[in-house]
Amino acid sequence: MKEIIAIIRMNKMGQTKKALINAGFPSFTAHKVMGRGKGFVDLDLLRGAAEGLEDAIPQLAHGPRLIPKRILKMVVPDDKVELLVETVIKVNQTHHAGDGRIFVMPIIDAIRIRTKESGLEAINEMNE
Amino acid sequence: MIMIRAIVRPEKSNEVMKALMDAGFPAVTKMEVFGRGKQRGLKCGEVTYDELPKELLLMVVKDEDKDFVIRSVMESARSGERGAFGDGKIFVSPVDEAYTISSGEREISIRPAKETGSAKEEGAVAAGAESRETV
Repeated sequence: MKEIIAIIRMNKMGQTKKALINAGFPSFTAHKVMGRGKGFVDLDLLRGAAEGLEDAIPQLAHGPRLIPKRILKMVVPDDKVELLVETVIKVNQTHHAGDGRIFVMPIIDAIRIRTKESGLEAINEMNE
Repeated sequence: MIMIRAIVRPEKSNEVMKALMDAGFPAVTKMEVFGRGKQRGLKCGEVTYDELPKELLLMVVKDEDKDFVIRSVMESARSGERGAFGDGKIFVSPVDEAYTISSGEREISIRPAKETGSAKEEGAVAAGAESRETV
């Protein structure tokens, strides 16, 4: 069982949801977050500096501001990880910095509260 | 790779972010959360605050950078010299794989099963108590 945390662009949420359902991953938890990556891109500052604003130029050195992102958390069986990662990458890849990241983490157990099922049964969403 | 989740005071989060940036770890995701700790919230006279606003900083770093990042977060998130209740917690968990969506690049962490367990035990490092030994 693996937990997959994907950080994606705000405007890719709808497409990602659709692709996930088509690939057989209906369940996830989403959150709006702010974040920054290793890219030192701040569009506001760059635009300001390009327009010649005096204030923006010294601020350029202070690194990027936080950019709004969506975070998706999913728990899937080990053998589905590859498919899920491929699906998310396929939808979200624009080959530009800021497309996001996917992390795969181990999960010890999962329990469905309604039925008390645990383990793989608890995360099996397709046999309902 | 290691995922570090730090729950810090909202007013300290900028300081922590700056410390991380200066230390060369720019990649952070921040979310606003509410929670309580083992002090069971905050009691102000008659009123009890059950859910205190905090900020959750989520970052994924290489195994060898783990201790350094934890120390920088701890030093920057602590209030005052000795810290106070409510300064927050840091949780550490293993990450198997990380993908960069734009390039499709994949990073895999290879670690023996044992170390995964020990990483979890070290997981809850109290920002207040532990700091005096490690700093």
